[in-house]
Amino acid sequence: MSYIHVQGLNKRFIVRRKREKGSLLREKQVIPALRDVSFDIEEGELVGYIGPNGAGKSTTVKILSGILTPDSGEAAVGGRVPWKDRKEYVKHIGVVFGQRMQLWWDVPVQDSYDLLRDIYRIPEDAYRQRLNELTEALDLGPLLRTPLRLLSLGQRMRAELCGSLLHRPRLLFLDEPTIGLDAVSKLALRDFLRWENRENRTTILLTTHDMEDIAALCPRVMVLGHGQKLYDGGLSALLSRFDRTRTVTVRYDGEPDLSVLPAGLGISREGELVRLSYEPETLPTPDLLGLLQKAGAIREMTVQPQNIDRLIADMYREMDL
Amino acid sequence: MDTIRLYLRSMAMLMKSQLQYPASFLMQTLAQLVMEGGELMAVILLIDRFDRLNQWMPGDLYFCFGLMSVSFYLTECFGRGITGNFPSMVRTGQLDTLLLRPRGVLTQVLCSAVDPRRIACIAVGTVSLVMGSRMAPVLWTPVKALLLAESVFCAFWLILGLFLIEAVLCIHSVRSVEVANALTYGGRSACQYPIDTYPRPLRVLFTVVAPFALVMHVPASHILGKPLFQWPLWTAFLAPLSGIALFGVMYLVFRRAMRFYRSAGS
Amino acid sequence: MRAYLSVFRLRRRLETQYRGAALGGIICQVFFGLILIALYRALYAGKPQALPFPHVATYVWLQQAFFRMLLASDADLMDKIRTGGIACDLCRPVNLYGFYYARILAQKLMGSLLRGVPMLVFAALLPEGWGIAPPASLPALLLSLAALALGLGCVSALENITMAFTMRTLDFRGMQAMLNLLMMVLSGNILPLTLFPDSWQPVITALPYAQLLDAPIRLYTGEYALSRAGGILLIQAAWTAALILLGLAMWHKNQRRMIIQGG
Repeated sequence: MSYIHVQGLNKRFIVRRKREKGSLLREKQVIPALRDVSFDIEEGELVGYIGPNGAGKSTTVKILSGILTPDSGEAAVGGRVPWKDRKEYVKHIGVVFGQRMQLWWDVPVQDSYDLLRDIYRIPEDAYRQRLNELTEALDLGPLLRTPLRLLSLGQRMRAELCGSLLHRPRLLFLDEPTIGLDAVSKLALRDFLRWENRENRTTILLTTHDMEDIAALCPRVMVLGHGQKLYDGGLSALLSRFDRTRTVTVRYDGEPDLSVLPAGLGISREGELVRLSYEPETLPTPDLLGLLQKAGAIREMTVQPQNIDRLIADMYREMDL
Repeated sequence: MDTIRLYLRSMAMLMKSQLQYPASFLMQTLAQLVMEGGELMAVILLIDRFDRLNQWMPGDLYFCFGLMSVSFYLTECFGRGITGNFPSMVRTGQLDTLLLRPRGVLTQVLCSAVDPRRIACIAVGTVSLVMGSRMAPVLWTPVKALLLAESVFCAFWLILGLFLIEAVLCIHSVRSVEVANALTYGGRSACQYPIDTYPRPLRVLFTVVAPFALVMHVPASHILGKPLFQWPLWTAFLAPLSGIALFGVMYLVFRRAMRFYRSAGS
Repeated sequence: MRAYLSVFRLRRRLETQYRGAALGGIICQVFFGLILIALYRALYAGKPQALPFPHVATYVWLQQAFFRMLLASDADLMDKIRTGGIACDLCRPVNLYGFYYARILAQKLMGSLLRGVPMLVFAALLPEGWGIAPPASLPALLLSLAALALGLGCVSALENITMAFTMRTLDFRGMQAMLNLLMMVLSGNILPLTLFPDSWQPVITALPYAQLLDAPIRLYTGEYALSRAGGILLIQAAWTAALILLGLAMWHKNQRRMIIQGG
């Protein structure tokens, strides 16, 4: 059996809301958060988990981390059922929420780690060794003696990651780990995750809205919408399904005669640059090139695939999410 | 044993973090001192006007006030995770973080906060206790000292148990959680004075439901040499245990509520 | 003027939204009232006082019913002060003092009407010696209402000063706690002012804290004779005027300081 095995998971939430304004009666409303979700993940995989807000991503993570009990279905991680024997189970997982800190705010980071050592009952030498390893990989050395509140957002996220990996979890859940981070911090974080995944064969399930994260890290992605799994496979295969348009940017020598170009290309100008988009399916690339050359002498030109966020938005729309 | 060590280490760390802002800490401690001093002042003024309360003389009344004050604020100090922070932990989802760690939820909640400012209130309570026992006067014997210690210890668990009611209501997302204050803060206000002050319904409430009377007044009345209801001495040792029993019951209820939390979502 | 009225409307909507939470508060407050009356009854049984007991019970209920007028419980505003968000308000084109005055007044009035009225109805249904007694006379009732209105104006001015003051102190929570305590004790909430030592009475009843609830309650029960009502209302009006002037001056100074500091 695979490392994570999820079969037919269902979860509904019951929300009570007022029937109408001013009414004292409340109505029960059942919101299905997960509908018959199944998947398998092998040990050492790095999987992206995406979907629009409210799709059921965090519900899945909460069930797999033992915080929630599903209504029906089965799940096992390394042979253990997450919602049975919580205390034993959580020793083997780590969770990082991008917007919720687990370290203590006013004390030096090192003190927080020492307390986590006591909470997880990590033997002293194992703790030392792991802490050194993580400190080096995350470049935390100078920060250990600093109170958390004085760290920048990027430093804080690195500190959080270290905290959640001290007990050497076999499985790591990451929920929006790069939210609000600057470019340098994002890159550093991604490098670290790749390292941890490779060196320690830690299985990682990454939930995010940042498609760059997914593209950079995850060979495999699962798409969730309305509580159902809609896609499971490689990111490029997923994108090629929706990625029909290309954007072309051309720089001409002198003023081009754009009137020779057909309508519907969404032409825009930005100083010397002419930008347009086309679908290779309907207008083959050589034909477009001919037309562009007719318009003037091309000095420089680039062809780009569509912006990945735009693509995902299109995809969600097409999947009716 | 391991749990106690974890608790002590957490406390040490939290104290350290509170002392990061010494000026603010001092100021707030002072405010607590004035606050509890004001409560004591009210008792002094009442005694000034009325001289006594039934058979209870001024010394007895200060003693009872002090006993309640010390017990209540010891709980507020060391049980802060439950008495103060729990509702916001549920609201903000911080409780989820605790479920991700291999320790009992209640243990972690208790480890998550301490309120050393209450030391000021405890000091006022101690002053009142000493003043009362001087005035009464209490002739201290080892047995009486033991009774006092047991009473404070059991009251700690009783009050913690009563605050758990609010925690449970919170988990079930009941909107009017303040109702629970009637038992906790109401119990503190009412049982600063001996239980026989009150009419039967209140007496029953604070004996059977929230047994402040059993935990504090029965032993206190023996220490003061005026046994309530003429109960024999051994009852003074037995009665406070009801506080621990109440905590035990509430602990079980809390565990059930956590099961509900995990199946109902947040 | 429209801006001030909308402050009241907003507050009313807020209060009615939290009806569920208010119910818990009401039950709790009623319970506290019953405990206090039981205690004072037992004390009275031992040593009766000149003041008839129904007056004490009435005092307790009116204090409990209008409890929300006492404390600064506008958490939103407090947050603003703590986080410095109040600096944004300082840039708004309204008279800030008036704006906050209206806000505080609205919060005190709306908050306590919603909770106070049901509590008073309940208290009126209790047997004599436990419940609230009817007013001494119709003029006494009307005068006490007028005194309550003036008292409210006075306490809102006081709270505004507190705010202006706490904005400058380093630790605002400690300061707030102490000022709240002063309010609770000197307004007669913890212990009716009528039960304070007789020799203290001239001083404590003259303080602004006594104007909010103590003065109206004593007019209501008839402890203050009608002939004295004019003098009482005058004291209240004088305090209100003085505190508003002081508050205005403090806000003005704060505002200037803020602008100089540039933020």
